[in-house]
Amino acid sequence: MIPLVTAAGLTKKYGDLVAVAGIAFEIHEGECFGFLGPNGAGKTTTVRMIHCVSPVTSGTLTVGGLPAGIDNRALKMMTGVIPQEINLDNDLTVQENLVVFARFFDIGRKEARARIAELLRFVELEAKSGSKISELSTGMKRRLLIARALINRPRLIVADEPTTGLDPQARHLIWQRLRQLKSQGTTLVLTTQYMEEAQQLCDRIVVMYQGKILKEGIPAKLVEDEIGREVVEIRIPPEEDGKVLAELSAFPCTHERVGDTLYFYCRDGHALMRKLIELDLPNTLNRPATLEDVFLKLTGRSLHE
Amino acid sequence: MSLSYRIAYVFLRNLYSYKRFIVPTFLVSLVEPLFYLITFGVGMGAYMGSFGGKPYLHFLVPGVLVSAVMMSSSFECLYGTYIKIVHEKVYDSLIATPVSADEAVAGDIVWASFRGLVSGSLMMAVALAMGVAPASPFRLLLLLVFMIFIGVLFGSLAMIVTSIAPSFDFFSYYTELVVTPMLFFSGVFFPLERFPGWMKTLAEFLPLTHAVRISRAVFTGEPAAGLGWSFAGLIVLAAVVFTISIRMMRKRLIK
Repeated sequence: MIPLVTAAGLTKKYGDLVAVAGIAFEIHEGECFGFLGPNGAGKTTTVRMIHCVSPVTSGTLTVGGLPAGIDNRALKMMTGVIPQEINLDNDLTVQENLVVFARFFDIGRKEARARIAELLRFVELEAKSGSKISELSTGMKRRLLIARALINRPRLIVADEPTTGLDPQARHLIWQRLRQLKSQGTTLVLTTQYMEEAQQLCDRIVVMYQGKILKEGIPAKLVEDEIGREVVEIRIPPEEDGKVLAELSAFPCTHERVGDTLYFYCRDGHALMRKLIELDLPNTLNRPATLEDVFLKLTGRSLHE
Repeated sequence: MSLSYRIAYVFLRNLYSYKRFIVPTFLVSLVEPLFYLITFGVGMGAYMGSFGGKPYLHFLVPGVLVSAVMMSSSFECLYGTYIKIVHEKVYDSLIATPVSADEAVAGDIVWASFRGLVSGSLMMAVALAMGVAPASPFRLLLLLVFMIFIGVLFGSLAMIVTSIAPSFDFFSYYTELVVTPMLFFSGVFFPLERFPGWMKTLAEFLPLTHAVRISRAVFTGEPAAGLGWSFAGLIVLAAVVFTISIRMMRKRLIK
């Protein structure tokens, strides 16, 4: 596989604050690559460097073989950005937002008209082309951001938390559209805090924390390697831990106490579960392990503020 | 600096946005000159006798023309640009495209100059309607070109203020302590010759003084002393503040 984006020792500092601390990764052409991490982990800063709006402090970062940099117009020409913050032009209509953006990319009037009609169909906003931005719902605004990001037929799409604040219907529509783009060969770079989103879309992910990459891999494999297949949760007071753990010491599971819950990470939780029923413990739950467990295990369960 | 034809795209974006505000801004641009020309020109002018053989209004118009351009272009680069950076995030989406931050800023300065030209032209139209006209049609054309230049100058100056503004309130320092005093010390309303010596010296450091001097000379066709120096000074100043404004805005926009 050919890498489209390559980073080595990539570092970003704001004064004394180290936002990204010397990370390395490769994003292959045609894959969806996800950056996961809590707030302030450095995900957005990293993707902002990839799409050339934030200068690299040190290390190397290349996109399509070219060094990323704020004046690299060739890279901006081939990149589409779906920003975290809805920054549509509120003074302009839906159609005008796209017309103006087409100009920014040197797209001629006639080509732009055809492209805009096609994109509005793609994001199901044909009926809204004359509307003001203030008349759109959040879901529609997010879809328009996608259309805007596609105006230049990008080879690389950078989506920074593209479904924040959306209801399930709107979120699924956006996932479908992003998968559709990927199936057409577009490379996707995604940041997200939603583990389901990463599992739905990403071929490979990295988990970032405090500016560093903690783990890299295929979502399903990461879950299996880090957590196992199943999780058993027992909600009991911490004083009873000793007694319960003694009863369960024979099972090949790792455990962790967080707040009011005792977590067991197992390859197979059934045997443990049977024992728990035998012990007649209230409030027990056996469920498949998810990326969220990996995320919380790696980045800790306490609040990141 | 990274500047190209893409400045025109930024101008185009502003033109699209302007469509929605065109009626209110035209009204404001028309009411302002009427206010100045009627209160000062006609009202006060009645008590002031003649200036160089002509009514006071003829003295007033060339100065008020350039002050209108100054006001319009300054406000556009203060409030207009600040809203686009902080509230509307227009700049965020712009700099992610092949349009550079430098071009976005330059585009806004050119836009501010256009807004200045619109205000100045409306002021000129009112003056013409009141029977005050430049010495020849060619001079009218020269004045319009000069307005574009003055717009770039004051737009860039305001852009420097915007580049360091933490909030809207900050602009009051500039408008109340720089722009408004300049209006009264630059020979717009009274000839500078009547000021005491130290005020005359101070006035020479105000760009508006030189702009008014040039505007008045072009308007009336009567040569004034030091016109060449005034013009050269303004050109150098405009080049310097334009460059500084783009550098400082780049610092604000690129992080």
